[in-house]
Amino acid sequence: MITGLFMALVGGFLAYVFRYNLAFPGESIPLFGQLSAGQYNQFITNHGLIMVFWVGMPLLVGAFGNFLIPIMIGADDMAFPKLNMLSYWFFLTSAIVLMISFFVPGGAFAGGWTMYPPLSVNGYTDPSPSFLSAIFYGSSLMIIAVALEFTAILMGGINYLVTTINKRAPGMTPFRIPLAVWYIDIATVIFMFSVGPLVAGAFMLLFDITLGSGFYDPARGGDPVLFQHLFWFFGHPEVYVLLLPTLGVLGEIIPVFSRKPLFGYKPLIVLSLISAVLSVVVWAHHQFIAGIDPRMATFFSVATILISIPFSGIFLSLMATLWGGKIKITVPMSWALGMIGLFLVGGFTGLFLGSNAFDIYAHDTYFIVAHFHYTLFPSVFFGFFAAFYYWFPKFTGKELNKALGYIHFWLTFIFFNGVFFVLFFNGLGGQHRRIYNYEMFSNVAIEPYITFEKIATISAICLILSQVIFLWNFIVSWAAGRKAEKNPWQANTLEWVADSPPPHGNFHTAPKVYRGAYEYSVPKASEDFLPQNLQAD
Amino acid sequence: MSNSAAAALEQPQKAVSNGILGMLFLLTTEAMLFAGFISSLIVNRATDTIWPPPGQPRLPVEATFVNTLILLASGVIYAVYARKYKSSGGDKSTIKFLLAALLLGIVFVSVQGYEWMRLLGFGLTTKSNLYGAYFYMIIGAHALHVAVGITLLSYLAVFIKKGQTFGRACDKITITGMYWYFVVAIWPLLYYLVYIL
Repeated sequence: MITGLFMALVGGFLAYVFRYNLAFPGESIPLFGQLSAGQYNQFITNHGLIMVFWVGMPLLVGAFGNFLIPIMIGADDMAFPKLNMLSYWFFLTSAIVLMISFFVPGGAFAGGWTMYPPLSVNGYTDPSPSFLSAIFYGSSLMIIAVALEFTAILMGGINYLVTTINKRAPGMTPFRIPLAVWYIDIATVIFMFSVGPLVAGAFMLLFDITLGSGFYDPARGGDPVLFQHLFWFFGHPEVYVLLLPTLGVLGEIIPVFSRKPLFGYKPLIVLSLISAVLSVVVWAHHQFIAGIDPRMATFFSVATILISIPFSGIFLSLMATLWGGKIKITVPMSWALGMIGLFLVGGFTGLFLGSNAFDIYAHDTYFIVAHFHYTLFPSVFFGFFAAFYYWFPKFTGKELNKALGYIHFWLTFIFFNGVFFVLFFNGLGGQHRRIYNYEMFSNVAIEPYITFEKIATISAICLILSQVIFLWNFIVSWAAGRKAEKNPWQANTLEWVADSPPPHGNFHTAPKVYRGAYEYSVPKASEDFLPQNLQAD
Repeated sequence: MSNSAAAALEQPQKAVSNGILGMLFLLTTEAMLFAGFISSLIVNRATDTIWPPPGQPRLPVEATFVNTLILLASGVIYAVYARKYKSSGGDKSTIKFLLAALLLGIVFVSVQGYEWMRLLGFGLTTKSNLYGAYFYMIIGAHALHVAVGITLLSYLAVFIKKGQTFGRACDKITITGMYWYFVVAIWPLLYYLVYIL
């Protein structure tokens, strides 16, 4: 988790540098200096790569998966503890390899995080570090880093699934497993099902770069769009891999702070399974303007709009859980509610983009940038912070500072909107993403878009600075915080039965499970919650 | 509570062992990897009118057919071994079947390596065209899997030789077998797609 957070800082720094450049082109950037056009491309590329693969996946799926799955199902440890360790070292190596790529001749990969050929291949035929060409070392290292990272996640994923299937405590039937575990596991299944073709595609890319084959070179019988298919076959399911664990976390937090059973526990699981199936048939909506067959585009349009149905169902269930509950606003609950609110904006704009008629206009503009930040930022960071503030007492046995938590939440919430809400307008106004300097395009470098760029950049700087509060709170509370109770939120799931922090082996006596995870405010019960391991009287 | 007592509480829920499940998930991912390779090959081939491109060295279809039989035989012998070991309650003399399966695997990959050297000598490389590139990539990926399989079989042989409890040995045999059957079973498909089609 610490590695993931460090990578988030790196990614954030890259974002700061290129946002600064967009608002104040050509000026020297504090803490960095002049940004060249080539560096600008490297930075946006690696910002994307880092945030998706080295922050999103390890923070939620990696860190919380490893901690929560065994303890929530009442196991002493993962099924393969050694594999787990190996997975972490693979992950660390992959992060180091990616960092090294900034310092090789020609710099890091600069062809966009989607690594489309020919930008990702050109380095071979044209090794000179020119303006746009991806460079031999940079892109090879990047592919190797991504491959290592996937190996790490794959090892982790196998571990999660086997642990959930084989290491459950007695009485933990499939439909008593907490939603967070279900959702992390379903995300893992989606990942494992979709990653193969991407690895195949990346291998072919590596062959093109290093061995001079022509898989993606139309002059030699290859097909560049083929890579886009292989990439997005993984790339789109990937966003659900990032989203589902967060929804699972919300499925824990919202019932606890509404003091109400989760609304529609079984339907929620069914809906997520439906979305898992649909998630692998929507990939080509990223390619509406790549010259694919219009009949195909229609199919993918329909599938894309279909997939919003299960997700709407999931969100409505979460909101229905709030309905009529005794809502307690706490720090984790604020993050959870913030996530729902912001994701809604991302989801609604996604509906427009799903129809190919609108997408052709909005493609590759800041509208897209704003859209996917409104989906990814809440699902990665709001989800992470919700989970973090919720489980921190369990992790460390210490309490976090509440006031700092609220300040952190509100600043993040406000400045996040400050960055990306204005970008919707810039996108609709025709500003294209990945442009180094807008002064060269006089038709879009007009008011109000120049001001909007500035608002976005200043907000982005403030957004990053707000995270200092979080780091401060994290370090100080861990070192010198008040001792936390065993079950500070009065929740039902098994992790609250264990000591805080949980000892090696998690539990002193192996727990037995008598009921589902969401028995809140049960009539006639002495307390308003009934922990899963409590025998009925 | 001691570890064994905790284990006993969990035992009734374990229908399939950890290793078998883990291997099952791994193989699902592997199958998708090969699906990626195969669909790329088919997509690129669909746009080419003449396949294989003229003026290229012929792939050794007949020699590889014999080699295919060798690999299949290895798979079958492994199956025989697994049956015999389990039905005899861990009879150590059955290990000769395992060694035979291992040997055939090594023969397969050596013949493949020899053919590769010959093709490279004839001038078929990844640079020459897509035909060569796909050949080396797909067959190379499979050869790597065979190499991993051979390592697993050798490890299993050492493991059995050392003398393990019957239950653990059976588990290991099943897990290694799953991987080996996968490698063996996917080969005829690749042979058909790359060499013949």
